[in-house]
Amino acid sequence: MLRVENLTFAHPGQTTPYTFSLVAHGGEVTAISGASGSGKSTLLDLLAGFLTPASGSIALDHRDLLPLPPEQRPVSLLLQSDSLFEHLSAAKNVALGLPAGTPKAEARRQIAEALAEVGLEGIGEQLAGTLSGGQKQRVALARTLLRARPVLLLDEPFSALDDETRVAVRELVRVLTIRHGWHTILVSHHADDVEALAARRYGLAEGRLTAA
Amino acid sequence: MVGTTSRAAMLTLPHRPLRIAAAIALATAIAALIALVLWAILAAATGSEGSALRIDIPHLLRMTTIQAGLTTVLSIAVGMALAWALNRLRFPGRDLVVGLFASAIVTPGMVVAFGLLSIWGRNGWINQASEALFGFSIGNPAFGLSGILFAHVVLDGAFAARIMLARLDAIPTPRLKTGQSLGLTPWQRFAIIDWPALRGTVPGLAAIIFLLAFTSFPIVLLLGGGPANQTLEVAIYAAVRQDFDLAGAVRLAATQIAVCSLVILAASALAPIPTSFGASVAPRWRDQGIARGLQALVLALCTIGFVLPLLSVLVDGLGAGIGRVVAQPAFWWATASSLVIGTASALLTLALALVLALGRGATGSGPLRTLLGMPAFAYLAVPAVVLSLGFFLAVRELGLAPATAAPFVVILANSLLALPFAMATLGPPLEAIARSRGKLIRSLGLSGWRQFVSVEYPLLGRDIGVMLALAFCFSLGDLGVIALFGTQDFQTLPLMMFRALGSYRGNDAAAIAAILLVGTIIAFVGLPKLFERIADAAR
Repeated sequence: MLRVENLTFAHPGQTTPYTFSLVAHGGEVTAISGASGSGKSTLLDLLAGFLTPASGSIALDHRDLLPLPPEQRPVSLLLQSDSLFEHLSAAKNVALGLPAGTPKAEARRQIAEALAEVGLEGIGEQLAGTLSGGQKQRVALARTLLRARPVLLLDEPFSALDDETRVAVRELVRVLTIRHGWHTILVSHHADDVEALAARRYGLAEGRLTAA
Repeated sequence: MVGTTSRAAMLTLPHRPLRIAAAIALATAIAALIALVLWAILAAATGSEGSALRIDIPHLLRMTTIQAGLTTVLSIAVGMALAWALNRLRFPGRDLVVGLFASAIVTPGMVVAFGLLSIWGRNGWINQASEALFGFSIGNPAFGLSGILFAHVVLDGAFAARIMLARLDAIPTPRLKTGQSLGLTPWQRFAIIDWPALRGTVPGLAAIIFLLAFTSFPIVLLLGGGPANQTLEVAIYAAVRQDFDLAGAVRLAATQIAVCSLVILAASALAPIPTSFGASVAPRWRDQGIARGLQALVLALCTIGFVLPLLSVLVDGLGAGIGRVVAQPAFWWATASSLVIGTASALLTLALALVLALGRGATGSGPLRTLLGMPAFAYLAVPAVVLSLGFFLAVRELGLAPATAAPFVVILANSLLALPFAMATLGPPLEAIARSRGKLIRSLGLSGWRQFVSVEYPLLGRDIGVMLALAFCFSLGDLGVIALFGTQDFQTLPLMMFRALGSYRGNDAAAIAAILLVGTIIAFVGLPKLFERIADAAR
């Protein structure tokens, strides 16, 4: 279980700090909704370790995550866009999820399996920049599979997708979350995304998270 | 307590303490080297008897400032007119013409100077044609202040045009569409749309051109035509090599450093000028009527002014004289020296620029970023001949034979000379990657090496090629450093050409100039393409 308790943070010039408390379970999507500028992305940056809170705690299965730098946190990140390096092939992007020094044959096998799991067999050699928006998000999810981190942070991941692709990628996130037991935290201001995915919901207003 | 964070800390950069440490160590080493050079100059100044009474520093300072000031004003004016014309006109071969002007930055000054003599000199094309057609000669306008200005404007005007063209190309399309729909006249368009895009570039560009002209060596040496037009840089060379007046050379060098440092101090407050060697977008909104005719005229005159001297170098040099030159063993030694020094200094420049730029891109700290950017100013504060003089004195002071140290000093000095351009080429893309992808790189936990191999290197391929081409061409065409360190046994192609001119072997000089020009063009065009391919293969 991921537990965030009384996490506080303020940007420069911000008089009232954000205060975040939430609980997220493995195999479930926890959705955070709120207006633009309400602090949703700040919460994700705190969870990922890009920002340091003034006080509070973040623990995964009672393990304190706050001392860990971003690269050591058990967290994967999926953004609205820019989740891939567009000059690399899809396979090389996925390979970045593997530990350095993984033998080539083993890496090829794992990459192929991961791409197959997200429904992208056979596109490994294509440059990421040539893929559609939905394919890019699937490649990023394939990389997440190889990283095998128990927390997945999604920052408006479906916003750049058309309706049909959006539904398909959303369903993929739901299936993978259940299958791999991820603690998935979705930030979105789209009610239908939240409706379709969330087992648990929080609203963010006036700097505070409240269970919806 | 409520934690807040600064804007710099908000920026998520990859955590790279090793890169930062290596860059700090290198910047410190370069600072120590420059300090050694300055110390050697100062020690020589205090320890030597003054035989420098006949050196008229105020006159030299006045002449140098006048030629650099006029060069700056004329180059900016010509560059702006040329950029304006290129931005508006669409014609077959436009990419080639734009590439030609971009190559001005690497075209050796002495090659251009030689080309101008071939066209405008006493026995040049113009005089030959004038005497054949009209029976009189127009004299020798390629010598003296007019020749120096012409050569500088050919090189620096083309350089300015390429920088300003990039600014005009970057004007947002919606702004152009609005202007077009409002039916702006060509003059209104320039005043309302172009000038606001250009004016930010002018002060920084003017400072760079002023410094380049102030420290120009081969052009003044070849076209100066006597003491009346001598500049500080040439006077330092003459003091060391011709008069053996070290005290005088040191006084001149100190003056040179003081003026350059003042200009740099002023220039450092201005917006930096990025190098621009990418493709230029063909225009969609073209002017009509008189403006269009004027643009065609500007383009034609500038192209003739730039191309004709280079063409004359090729025509004169690749003729009968080339056989005599290539038959000399000294030519092949000089070619080998030029290639080895060019390659070594280009690779050293790449290493120095990468270490500094990677370190600079890894930190958000303002003071540290300034510190890591300082080595780029080393050359501008201590230009070629002064740097060379300092090394010459330091080597003697350390008890080494100048001839033994010469190749290493020439390679090192050429690398320092190319460093500002190398950092301007590699720095911005590396910083852009660190800033735009820092969050993703950190969240993926990529090591520094993996970040370089997978992310930075494949994206930098062409920039690395451009940087290597710049450094190689600068070194290939250098005369300022080799002029002091060269010996009968150790000479490069530019020094061999200079010596051929000094002993009235014009055909030999023409052949070497042509070979230098061809080598420069091949390197400038070929290296970026080669490295783009190599980097593509890494994707």
